[in-house]
Amino acid sequence: MSTFKEHKSVADRSASDRSRHKKKIEEAIKDGIHHIVSDESIIGKDGKKKFKIPVRGIKEYRFVYSDNSQNPKAATAPGKNIQKGQQIGKASDESEAQGTGDKASNEKGEEFYEVEITLEELAYYLFNDLELPDLEKKTIKNITGNKYQRHGYRPKGIRPRLDKKKTAIQRIKRKAAQKAESLGAEDDESFPYRESDLTYRHIREVKKHSSNAVIFFIMDISGSMTQQKKFLARSFFFLLYQFINQRYKTLDVVFVSHDTQAYEVSEEQFFQRGSSGGTIVSSALKKVDEIICQRYHPDAWNIYTFQCSDGDNWPDDMDSMIESAQILQQKCQLYGYCEIDPDSERMKWISSMSKVSEEFEKLKSKNFKIAKIYTKNDIWTAFKKLLGSSEVLS
Amino acid sequence: MKSDWDFKFLQKYDDKICELSKDNKLDWFDIQYEVCDYYSMIGHMSYHGMPTHYGHWSFGKRFERTHQMYNLGMEGLPYELIINSDPSIAYLMRENPAYMQILIMAHCVGHSDFFKNNAKFKHTRPGSVIQRMRSAKKRIQGYVENPNIGIEKVEKFMDAAHAIQFQTYRSSVVRQTNRQYKEKIIRSVLDVNPSEALDLDEIDIFQPEHNILKFLRENAKLRPWQQDILEIIESESQYFLPQMKTKIMNEGWASFWHYRMCHQLELESKFHIPILKTHNQVIRPHVGGLNPYHIGFELFRRIEERHGLEECFIARETLEDTSFISNYLTEKDCRDLGLFTFSKKKYKNKTSKFVIDKISDEEDWKLVKNTLVRNVGSNSIPVIFVDGIDVGNTLILQHEHDGRDLDLAYADEVVRHISYLWGGEVKFFTVVEGDTWEI
Repeated sequence: MSTFKEHKSVADRSASDRSRHKKKIEEAIKDGIHHIVSDESIIGKDGKKKFKIPVRGIKEYRFVYSDNSQNPKAATAPGKNIQKGQQIGKASDESEAQGTGDKASNEKGEEFYEVEITLEELAYYLFNDLELPDLEKKTIKNITGNKYQRHGYRPKGIRPRLDKKKTAIQRIKRKAAQKAESLGAEDDESFPYRESDLTYRHIREVKKHSSNAVIFFIMDISGSMTQQKKFLARSFFFLLYQFINQRYKTLDVVFVSHDTQAYEVSEEQFFQRGSSGGTIVSSALKKVDEIICQRYHPDAWNIYTFQCSDGDNWPDDMDSMIESAQILQQKCQLYGYCEIDPDSERMKWISSMSKVSEEFEKLKSKNFKIAKIYTKNDIWTAFKKLLGSSEVLS
Repeated sequence: MKSDWDFKFLQKYDDKICELSKDNKLDWFDIQYEVCDYYSMIGHMSYHGMPTHYGHWSFGKRFERTHQMYNLGMEGLPYELIINSDPSIAYLMRENPAYMQILIMAHCVGHSDFFKNNAKFKHTRPGSVIQRMRSAKKRIQGYVENPNIGIEKVEKFMDAAHAIQFQTYRSSVVRQTNRQYKEKIIRSVLDVNPSEALDLDEIDIFQPEHNILKFLRENAKLRPWQQDILEIIESESQYFLPQMKTKIMNEGWASFWHYRMCHQLELESKFHIPILKTHNQVIRPHVGGLNPYHIGFELFRRIEERHGLEECFIARETLEDTSFISNYLTEKDCRDLGLFTFSKKKYKNKTSKFVIDKISDEEDWKLVKNTLVRNVGSNSIPVIFVDGIDVGNTLILQHEHDGRDLDLAYADEVVRHISYLWGGEVKFFTVVEGDTWEI
């Protein structure tokens, strides 16, 4: 004799284990995200574009046999004409599909989640849980201005702000109240507006908190900047752009590339241009300053300048470069210089040249930071160094 | 959707099934059926069907996976879910039609009979399993809520312990104590060379320990809560291991009996025909894979044909998947099942494909059969044992290499887990492509 009963359902028993699992996946996304920052084309993407991030499943490791050729498996194929050496597709593990309440098999399963996230979420994962202490307070100043905001209603006010609907409602209320008092008599009497019905929208002055920002991306496109270096620079700029974009309503981006001369260019040109000339860094800095003077007054704009270069500069230009950089430093919220140096073995004549970073050391301060990138993996570190805590500074 | 059955209906058919089962000499635990919806069904499945079980994110993952598959239509829900307890708890899904419930109830009796009679299940203590699971859940919950421990620590510890959950004894033979082991070794030495003076307390002989969780529990520097968690996981693997070892037999036996009894019930055709359809679906061969229902059902059916029903009962009582297949699978069976072996071949262009190695012909069928035996039951778990503690408190682990190399990436991670539990260095020895390999 068996017994039967309605199952008393435990309210969604796996809910808390699922949320722990989800948290683990999110962590994995955060880990995996660094790989995509170095792949995607920067800027100009609207927030809708989805990125596919492969997340290594949260694996449960066990001792398992490898699937190499000396570890054959057995399978069935009744009635099928099979032959030795025949290729078969990937064997499915359908056998797991049905089951009694027994244990998971000891096979390692391919667990690959592909999580689709938007740029916005990407930025969220990238930046939000990041420990960048006092980042905003220190490096991101908000330019404040005043603006007016609606703030409730008042019985007094100027004519243009009269709220006709509210006023009418007031009159209806008053009429209803009077009617109730007089027990429904004198119905057809006219019922004019009174002074006390008039309702005005009230506004008040509030401080404007977010404002405009402009980023200048400066890149060295001289002959010594190889495709690989440009690729690193591009990835780096992508991160910076995303980060700053999150914090300002409007963001302008200006691309300045330079060899011995500086040009303001479009995004595509910025990353595609190649030239074989030498390098005069000051030309770019002067160009940026010129653009600031023309279009982005420091009182109205938060200005960020990020420069990527392989560290070469014409020796004669160094003094001029420092001078221009100092001027820019004063106008910018943050001036970040990033040296890209993926070659471990540099040619002798280059290494004997003095490096831009060495010169820039003098200017190092709260809003002038220097980072170096050697490989893809350094991008994130460099990013944190530029925007992160001030521990590197004294 | 209104279902075409009610409790009265279930009761009526259950009575008939129970009567038939008795006539068939099946001997099962009372079954407690619980009717639930599909969402709770997946919920229970994620916890191995246990009505109560400790929490861990891996169960959440299992839920998501099943749920997703179900939604994608890749996976049907299990036809039955029954656990090894006394009474056996089984779930019937509300969404299932009437004929399906009849089939499932007959199937469940088969499982329960297997749980109750198969030798591998002798030590699973089905009478108290629910209480044990409940207590384990409470204890672990307590550690999670303890402000001095907390979820992060508990989870990290459990992740590590789960990694070696099934690195334990293959059989339930009573272990020798270390002293008994030493005595045995000394005796064997003295047999050969009686003049040897050996003092039991002085010589240091390490008895290999296959139950790594137990070893760690007894020898690693652990806090009480950590020892307790190891104990919980260890005892859980003792409970579940018999089910892993008898997957094919257990499903085969239950399918054998549901098929038989659904005939014996002499059902009206509106039930019988869909039951046959479902039965064929359940035991269909998975081409290119192994369906335990298929192999188990076929073998029991053939054993009955060849040796009589009595032999089937003996098999269900004494064997596990490995011995079941070894003893009974014949050359003809191999051929009928279209058994073959395959492996991954890597090509120069870095792609890899599965290629058939051997098929069940006159020459190779034994090889194919052996490969099958090596991949079922506990044979699918590599044998790892503790081989001693070296200087500097280094734990020495050995892999009993049987011709099959391990997946090193996985082994690497597991060793890291063990090292975390051990609280010190761990050396792991295995063989890769014929050479000793150390992690």
